[in-house]
Amino acid sequence: MDEPERTESPVLTRRTVLAAATAAGIGVAASRLLALANEPAFTTVPVTGSLANKGGLDWVSPLSSDNAKVAHLLRRATFGATQAELDQARSDGYAKTVDRLIETPIAEPPVFPGGDDASQEKGLNVGQLQQWWLDWMQTTPTPFGERMTLFWHGHFTSDFRKVTPQTPFIYWQNLTWRKMALSDVRSMLGQVTIDPGMLRYLDLGNSTGRNPHENYTREVMELFTMGPEAFTEDDVKAAAKGLAGWREPLTQAMIDAQLARAMQRGNAPKNPPKADTVKTGIFERQRAYTGPAYAYLGETKVWNTDLVLDKIVAQDATAPFIVRKVLTHFVTPMPDDAYVTRLAASFRKSRYSVKQLMRDVFTSPEFTAPAAYRTLIKTPTEYMVSIAKALGDRTTTRLMLASGQGMGQTLFDPPSVGGWPENESWISSNTMLARANHVTGVLGQIKRLPSAGNAHETHLDGVLSAQTLKLLNEAGDDKKRWAIVFASPEFQLK
Amino acid sequence: MVATLTKLSRRDFLRSGLVFGAGAAGLAAGYAAVPDVFARAVYAAKSEGVVNDKVLVMIQLAGGNDGLQTVIPLQDSQYRSLRPTLGKSADEALPIDASYGLNKNLRGVKGLFDQGKVAIVQGVGYSKPSFSHFDSIRVWETGDPERRQQDGWLGKTIAANYDSAGHPLVGCACGTTNVPGALRDLEATLTVVNSQQSFKFNGGDDMEKAMGALYTGTPGIYGALFDTAVTTARDTVAQLKTSASAYQPKAQYSDDAKLVFSSKNQLSAALQLAAQLIVTGTGVKILHVTLGGFDTHYTQQQRHDDLMGYLDQAVTAFYTDLAGHGMADRVLIATWSEFGRRPRENASAGTDHGTAAPVFLIGDTVNGGLVGTQPSLTKLDASGNLGYDVDFRSVYQEILESHLAVDAKEVFAQSFEKLSVLKS
Repeated sequence: MDEPERTESPVLTRRTVLAAATAAGIGVAASRLLALANEPAFTTVPVTGSLANKGGLDWVSPLSSDNAKVAHLLRRATFGATQAELDQARSDGYAKTVDRLIETPIAEPPVFPGGDDASQEKGLNVGQLQQWWLDWMQTTPTPFGERMTLFWHGHFTSDFRKVTPQTPFIYWQNLTWRKMALSDVRSMLGQVTIDPGMLRYLDLGNSTGRNPHENYTREVMELFTMGPEAFTEDDVKAAAKGLAGWREPLTQAMIDAQLARAMQRGNAPKNPPKADTVKTGIFERQRAYTGPAYAYLGETKVWNTDLVLDKIVAQDATAPFIVRKVLTHFVTPMPDDAYVTRLAASFRKSRYSVKQLMRDVFTSPEFTAPAAYRTLIKTPTEYMVSIAKALGDRTTTRLMLASGQGMGQTLFDPPSVGGWPENESWISSNTMLARANHVTGVLGQIKRLPSAGNAHETHLDGVLSAQTLKLLNEAGDDKKRWAIVFASPEFQLK
Repeated sequence: MVATLTKLSRRDFLRSGLVFGAGAAGLAAGYAAVPDVFARAVYAAKSEGVVNDKVLVMIQLAGGNDGLQTVIPLQDSQYRSLRPTLGKSADEALPIDASYGLNKNLRGVKGLFDQGKVAIVQGVGYSKPSFSHFDSIRVWETGDPERRQQDGWLGKTIAANYDSAGHPLVGCACGTTNVPGALRDLEATLTVVNSQQSFKFNGGDDMEKAMGALYTGTPGIYGALFDTAVTTARDTVAQLKTSASAYQPKAQYSDDAKLVFSSKNQLSAALQLAAQLIVTGTGVKILHVTLGGFDTHYTQQQRHDDLMGYLDQAVTAFYTDLAGHGMADRVLIATWSEFGRRPRENASAGTDHGTAAPVFLIGDTVNGGLVGTQPSLTKLDASGNLGYDVDFRSVYQEILESHLAVDAKEVFAQSFEKLSVLKS
């Protein structure tokens, strides 16, 4: 029996009841939210969504209230919130919370054991690496930085399959992306281009001036910065020359593993290579392009990596392309052109400062406009981490690995060089089943659940469809209530 | 008639709002126009019903399959000169005529070719080709080289032709979690099954019923998609349960050959699920499966040969299974890939993004043999790429009209040169 838990449901005071009603965008005092022994824990009062729902209409936005805005911000800029995080942010207010999210330096995760020493002899355990990151998403004191790291992981993406676990590269890439997550796009491109994982993932580590590779060159323009329409095939070939000359670094562990294998075969080299001291690509002049000047994006000179990247950020297409992607991820599935243009202008003026861009995003009227409410779908990772945070539980990380796969997202393993698709692409029969099954798994695994008495307010803004409300009222215990909260359409959205 | 009109208005709404991005203002105004039968109407039955008993299975070779390492020129010295490393494949190729041989690992397909059950359309592409994976995938998925269309050609076909009432499996993507672009159409009834074993509600009846109740008339721009996905999931669970108990495989499927490089590739399992759905009479018409890993910029030989071997194993088992059930004359297997690869190999013994490549059509209803003309290796375009001989939509049109007996014009709004590779 779960009755004892039921009696632990918070007794709502008149003040919290009023706050709840306000958050839901209505001025009605909900007077029967008390969870009494033989009564449903929830009343039918604080529901605005159901009005619209009868006609198949939209959720009614509660975003005119500051408390709802703060919850909206934490859903989109972090991984949802614990009750304590939400209380803190509400007490600070919206503006101060935006400041704190953006200005707090991103906390570093704990060292991933053995990560630096990955080699052919002892590769990275990718499952453990995925769990390491998921753990950190749940525990980091700077979840906004972690959300941005995840965003860049899908943008400047690489997968462990091609990078392989026999190097530390995919682990290093995660550390690098976090360090640069709130810097500026020009600096980021400098790091991305010579990131060891990226050098391997898109083959730039094999590109020479004599035989330039097109793979990275095409994607850095098409997918990372300018979009497919802003350059020609000749520009791909030209930039490939300019970017050539880098090789992957070698660690001592990688060298030792190679030597051990060579010795087994009886052909150990007399002069084994020396380990590199940096965690970036190494530029080798003799592998770079040495020919005459050539045209790239309409300008003729002898290009090198820095000049190519400078040229890319000087293109008019670059700021709008990145801004549109950010807005699609953080604000609305269909940002209009004027919105993109406005933020792109500020972004470019700030020399592509990511902090400036994200501040502009979160303080733009569009971000908290009624039309933006619940128009984005939580990615599988956000969905799972936000469940763990709502429950104040950190024991379901392993379950997240299997569940995430069924929902279409495995960290360090994007479906393609384009990263993960957004929003409606997350909805299919398979993914909805996987989401429901994750809820079942989580709730079956956690021994002690917190009270769900206020979950519809804390996690769903009190804006519920008629169906969600009905099922919550029918749910007889905390476990069933949490199941309805997490399985509901409301909780899939952000 | 009423139902059709309702459908159109919903469709128009979603097109202007969700898909084409009319902007937040237009979208907000659009809500009021959405009737509350929205979700149910996604299932609205098409009165014509099922047109014939044929089934189509599309296999996507994702990443850009190298046509010149798949159907290999045996006598063309230019091939060997453009490909000093990869060109040695000609020595081991399995000859299908005096000029061409299949990749050495396509042994099963070669056997089927010899029995007249494989048509290979050479030089399939489109004009002004894109070298972007994403753009070119979208071109092939939508059948629109102008890249204006959003709906997939298979999705449109389903929406326009099939009675979906009670048949969630009319369209099915196997071995993936998300809806492939080719199947995408807001009015198409389709399901996505990543793996047969895990496709059930672990929370049992209670959770299944709760999901059904929660996702009914869901508000918001995703409401109908949510509701449809959950309804479809429930229907699919039920259908799979029945279907699994009725299915006895008549071939040995193995996923052993999958590569570490692409170990997400569960092609054999996906095709076995496809076979199960087909032979147990679930009403499935159009299936889509994917084999990835074809973006072979670097040390291509081994990887591409392995992929060919895996493809061959999976397809051969699938055909054998269907034939064992007496269904090989009902099912057409067709391959597609966003582009072929550059004829000249690069410095890493790999190949960069290219253009035209062959398409394979496999089944008892094909007129076997080589169709079309391999574009010349001596007349490459300015980017060093092949021209094309057959518009890919000619192949689609042939599949739609000769195999599925539906009107291709309804999907593409135009006609293309007629191919005669299928027995009508």
